[in-house]
Amino acid sequence: MEAQIPFSPFHTSGILHPPTPIRAAKYMTKRWIGACVVALAILTFPAFLQAQESGAAVVAEDPDPDQPIAFPHTIHAGVDQIDCQYCHFSAERSVDAGIPPVATCMGCHQMIRGTDEGQQAEIQKLVDYSENQEPIPWVRIYKVPDHVHFPHMRHIAAQVDCATCHGDVQEMTVIEEVNQPLSMGWCVSCHVERSVSRDCAVCHY
Amino acid sequence: MTDGLKRRDFLKVVGASGAGAGVLGCSTERVERLLPYVVPPEEITPGVATWYTTVCGECEAGCGMWVRTREGRVVKVEGNPTHPVSQGSLCSRGHSSLQALYNPDRFTGPMLRQGGELQSISWEDAEQMMAERLGAAGDYYLFTGSPGASMSGLMSDFAGSTGGQVVRYDPLAEAPLREASRITFGRDVVPWYDLEEADFLVSFGADFLESWLSPVRDGRGFARMSGVGEGGAKGRFAFVGSRLSLTGQNADEWLPIQPGSEALVALAMANVLSGGGGSAGPYRDIVAAYTPENVASVTGVEAESIRELAERFGEGPSLALGPGVAGLHRGATAANVAVAILNWVSGNVGTTVHYDAPQLEAPSSGFGPMEQAITAMSGGQVGAALVHGSNLVYALPASSGFREAFSSVDFKVSFASAMDETAAVADLILPDRHFLEAWGDATSRPGQWAVRQPAMRPVPHFDSKQTGDVLLSVATQMGQDLGSATFYDYLRTRWADLATTAGAADADAFWHESLRTGVAQVGVTPSGSAESLRQPDRGLVFDPPAFDGAGDLHLMVYPSSRYGDGALNANRPWLQELPDPVSKITWHSWVEIHPDRAEAMGIRNGDVVVLSTEHGSVEAPVWTYPGIREDVIALAMGSGHTDAGRFADGNGVNALDLLPSEAEALSGGLVHFVTKVDVQATGERRALASIAGSDSQSNRPITPAVALAGLGAEIGAEEDEHGPLQELQGGGGFVPVETEGLATDFPLPGSQYGEYGEEDTPRWAMAIDLDKCTGCSACVTACQAENNVPWVGESQVTMGRDMGWIRLERYYETVDASHAGPVDVRFLPMICQHCGNAPCEPVCPVFATYHTPDGINTQVYNRCVGTRYCANNCPYKVRVYNWYTYTGEEPVYEGLGHIPEPLNWQLNPDVTVRENGIMEKCSFCIHRIREHQDRAAVEGSTITDGQIIPACQQSCPAEAIVFGNIRDSGSAVALASHDERAYRVLDELVNTQPAVSYLKKVTFHEVDSGEH
Repeated sequence: MEAQIPFSPFHTSGILHPPTPIRAAKYMTKRWIGACVVALAILTFPAFLQAQESGAAVVAEDPDPDQPIAFPHTIHAGVDQIDCQYCHFSAERSVDAGIPPVATCMGCHQMIRGTDEGQQAEIQKLVDYSENQEPIPWVRIYKVPDHVHFPHMRHIAAQVDCATCHGDVQEMTVIEEVNQPLSMGWCVSCHVERSVSRDCAVCHY
Repeated sequence: MTDGLKRRDFLKVVGASGAGAGVLGCSTERVERLLPYVVPPEEITPGVATWYTTVCGECEAGCGMWVRTREGRVVKVEGNPTHPVSQGSLCSRGHSSLQALYNPDRFTGPMLRQGGELQSISWEDAEQMMAERLGAAGDYYLFTGSPGASMSGLMSDFAGSTGGQVVRYDPLAEAPLREASRITFGRDVVPWYDLEEADFLVSFGADFLESWLSPVRDGRGFARMSGVGEGGAKGRFAFVGSRLSLTGQNADEWLPIQPGSEALVALAMANVLSGGGGSAGPYRDIVAAYTPENVASVTGVEAESIRELAERFGEGPSLALGPGVAGLHRGATAANVAVAILNWVSGNVGTTVHYDAPQLEAPSSGFGPMEQAITAMSGGQVGAALVHGSNLVYALPASSGFREAFSSVDFKVSFASAMDETAAVADLILPDRHFLEAWGDATSRPGQWAVRQPAMRPVPHFDSKQTGDVLLSVATQMGQDLGSATFYDYLRTRWADLATTAGAADADAFWHESLRTGVAQVGVTPSGSAESLRQPDRGLVFDPPAFDGAGDLHLMVYPSSRYGDGALNANRPWLQELPDPVSKITWHSWVEIHPDRAEAMGIRNGDVVVLSTEHGSVEAPVWTYPGIREDVIALAMGSGHTDAGRFADGNGVNALDLLPSEAEALSGGLVHFVTKVDVQATGERRALASIAGSDSQSNRPITPAVALAGLGAEIGAEEDEHGPLQELQGGGGFVPVETEGLATDFPLPGSQYGEYGEEDTPRWAMAIDLDKCTGCSACVTACQAENNVPWVGESQVTMGRDMGWIRLERYYETVDASHAGPVDVRFLPMICQHCGNAPCEPVCPVFATYHTPDGINTQVYNRCVGTRYCANNCPYKVRVYNWYTYTGEEPVYEGLGHIPEPLNWQLNPDVTVRENGIMEKCSFCIHRIREHQDRAAVEGSTITDGQIIPACQQSCPAEAIVFGNIRDSGSAVALASHDERAYRVLDELVNTQPAVSYLKKVTFHEVDSGEH
């Protein structure tokens, strides 16, 4: 194993959460448990089923919270034609595409402060994060389950366009999930099309 | 189900509503946040590991480490291949140091005891208080263990300038060995042993594969010596002692001597080799007196056996070791002198033993100064006591009175990072950093240095501060200037001096290079200077020492292979659940007793007995062991904690409770093998939390061996007929495939559960040389750390639900404590065999286990529904099942495996964490394979043989494991699987076509070679 051994370890922040235990067979077990509950309910208490369904719609946390900054990909990727990997800097060398550090944003926004009030307000939020030395708590949009390993660099190396999975972000004011949910069938269809391995253990281990 | 509803209709309803339930399930998913760096650290790429070098702080050996970090947190430690001690390997204890870093029971910050309760205090107040109280204290003691070279220096400076006295005490320090070296060669050192250079090794009870001196380096040296090499060259190893430790189990022959009579055997051997003492210099008369015949009756070894042993010892380069800590009796120094004389008359000094370039630089004070300190403390002569890097209340026998003496001191400071028995009585607690968060250094030999650097920022849950910084700050407040503001500066100053010594022009460059490589050569490591045996300056008594107490059962208290003395490292579930390499018992203590003796006493395995001496008594279950003399009872150190944390407390008993606090007269080392013991059954029984199914192979060829004389005749001896196999196949068993699993045999025809890829697809395979494997179990812990294998807890282990992906099997062939003779204990690391014709695959109803094109029998966790059919059909019992979720924050019920914050920071992000209902097993470290494949694909490079190293192979000190692509006929694994000793476990019986080949152990005595 080729090891890089840097000698100054004192720069770590923004530590990600450790992997949570996977819900392996999540969809299956949940489905079956849910199914049994629902089936029993159908057979015995239709009214109770109704109550269950309306109850399930209430969630503890806002399921669709706004992003902390209204970041427009339309301007950055669309108008300004900034390359995806300028900000998502590790996509070609890591499994993770990388979320741009606040410092990367400030590289441009040190000078660019917006043309209208709306923009200026949003960019000010960025400046505040930077001055407070705080990370921006972006809401995660794309996530594959923990039992799936998706190496970005293999897909970049295979010249799969980012838009294949992420859609035309240059046209999205707010990033939305396209091709969602990222189901296995959808992944496999592309693997079949391109005649690459669709062996389970390529992604699941 | 209601009568009117047909099954098919039910399933339709279930299917339709199930889809709805799935959608509902998704909408309640937790919102996740992505937190970017504010300023990107240059060396960190998300998703890519960053490595740092450092030095292990678990014992004095000072193994160089590579620390793997992901996104700024440490996830694994491995040996540094360029470091001369670890040479790329690490022991179980080293691996488990991660669980001390993320120990959930670490102190959250500095604490002050007020009204009996610990209260938080700020660092400023704590340091100010310490300065004031030390200033007012007058004399004080600073106790420490093995803090590393520069930290030792700072402690001396600090104590020297503030009126204190440093007492270094390591319970496992080799005081008798050092004193013997001083007496014989005038050097107060632990000599450097070169096991690799010897052809014949005799250990007088030194457990060099587990706890003695430098187990990783010596494990490697031993495996290179004893593993059969080119042309059938194989070193031989004899163990002289009263109990077979793990080291003893690796011996080729065993002399089960009377307790305490090592010196006589060594002198009698020297007598034979020196022509009746003629060449023994100043010891001529002593050696002359101890002929094999004279010592035969006292040692219990026939004169002929000693003579034979001595003659073989004199034939070529040889080496005598020991006695170690387990044999530290009242005559330990004399016994070490006898062993030194034996090495001298055999010409080993300067070739396999080096006194001029010793090891383990740290000078321990021994028990003598500790005894004085205890007297002074209880006499009220000291105003304060500081304890750093040791847990003396636990590590000293209760009879020493340390607890009482320490408690009586007015101001007691503990630098423990987590609660232990000593911190439990301290007034002020100033938690030190873990060595993976701290600066430091270590020297393993003269000239060989290494820096200890922080591999991550301090774990944020705990407000810790490096003790070096605390001492410097306190010294400043006390008006002393120690020359540096921080310990880092202090370290750099010392390393600037080292750079000068090393002849480096640029001290900064020297420092950076040392950090990068993890090792620094400072000056020359001397070698081979002539030594001469000196006239002894102290009176030596070589006869077996007296044992206190009545009866004939001698109590041996030995350092645990897992914990050593266990004072600081017991609160680690990995170590607690690691099966002891000898007994295969986890979690609790056990009493070793010979089966015949037990039978005579009416005691069976699992009977709870009370051991009592005049110093105390303990209660533990019996484990009968044929590798111990009938007049010896053995108990391991390291258990029986009361205040060491949630995983350690209440497990087992502290063996030191049975011992007196007595220093050996010559060396001042605390004696361990000194008293007889009374054994009384309580009438209670308890199930042993053991993973051993059987100690016998029961005539199954699981670990066949081959006699050295029979090597070379093996080829062509394979039988043509597979009687039982054909019967099985006739009955509709698996696909009949007649291959030997060699490189040319892939792809296998006919297997329906997965297809091998085309010619250029690798077939991953492994080969394990059982002639090298020492059973040390480092691979077990390495695998657990790498693959997020959960620990399950004592109750689950007792039910046979242990989760280890590697089960280190141990079988007795020949173990006889009644007379000297061959010993034959077989080890076999049993992992998933990745069968080409796997019995687990056809029985899986959901296709969760199948063959990948590159030949791995894989387990798709998200497909598994937990029928356990695969485990039932596996002839190797390597599939383990998550009966509960062992990976949650909280245990499902009391005592069950769980991973509380921040222990979960250790989890390897590259490996899926499993929950209940999932079957799992060895994956051949598939994530490492994929990582290399990903990198090769991106870089356009190809993977070379030996590039992909699974965690077990990486960790193995014995270099017993090779892994690679068996289709590449030049690969190491292909060559090994073509070796004449290669065989595949049970393959002849069940035709599983494993991808794992084992190489038979080679014995000196005749064996039934295990052919079927």
